[in-house]
Amino acid sequence: MPIIVNLDVMMAKRKMSLNELSEKVGVTLSNLSILKTGKAKAIRFSTLEAICKALNCQPSDILEFVSDS
Amino acid sequence: MKTDRILKLMKFLFWLIFIALCFNAGSLIYILFKGKYVSLEGSKSIYVDPDLFDHSELRTTWYYISIILITTLLALKAYIAYLVTKIFTKVDFNNPFNTTTAKLLIKISRIALVTGVLVVTINSLYMWLNNKALVDILMKPYEEGSGEFLFLAGVIFVIAQIFKKGTEIQSENKLTI
Repeated sequence: MPIIVNLDVMMAKRKMSLNELSEKVGVTLSNLSILKTGKAKAIRFSTLEAICKALNCQPSDILEFVSDS
Repeated sequence: MKTDRILKLMKFLFWLIFIALCFNAGSLIYILFKGKYVSLEGSKSIYVDPDLFDHSELRTTWYYISIILITTLLALKAYIAYLVTKIFTKVDFNNPFNTTTAKLLIKISRIALVTGVLVVTINSLYMWLNNKALVDILMKPYEEGSGEFLFLAGVIFVIAQIFKKGTEIQSENKLTI
């Protein structure tokens, strides 16, 4: 998939576990896991906003576009 | 609750239909073997009567072809009934939009299409045999309703495609964080 989610990288930089992030963002552990492993099909702006607030980062720090070609 | 009762009744009816069609197909197979190995004259059924076939050299051949085609038709109808019962066993009515159900519906529409084509073939064959005076003029076409089968196949196919789209949308919603 062309959109890569670098959630684990940001979580490592902020030294935050998935459990902690799940509590701060208000998203279940399984859904965050789906996002982290790149299986998500879409993300709501509200979720992205909550993640960026929790990790104190920009959307571009979490989402990256890589061309298929 | 009312829907649940209706669905239970439908499930029961479709199991009955499946068993009845299997029985009919099985009885025709029995008549086929009886005609071949015992006596053609005693091999009558409500579907095909060997006495109505002209006493020509190809009488036996046409009679057997008719029996085989009609048995195949009954088997296909039984298979459709079986696939419908499978929907009742496999579908979770709290979460009905899944790929299994969509695939079953598409399969049913394809089998219905094949069944419709087969009915058209049988009717055409009987009409041809009638024209060639190989069967008695009283022998009517096997079944009027080939058009309905084809129409039904088209309708089920459209419903199956809508169901498939619904499944895709549901799956995408599930994977939206």
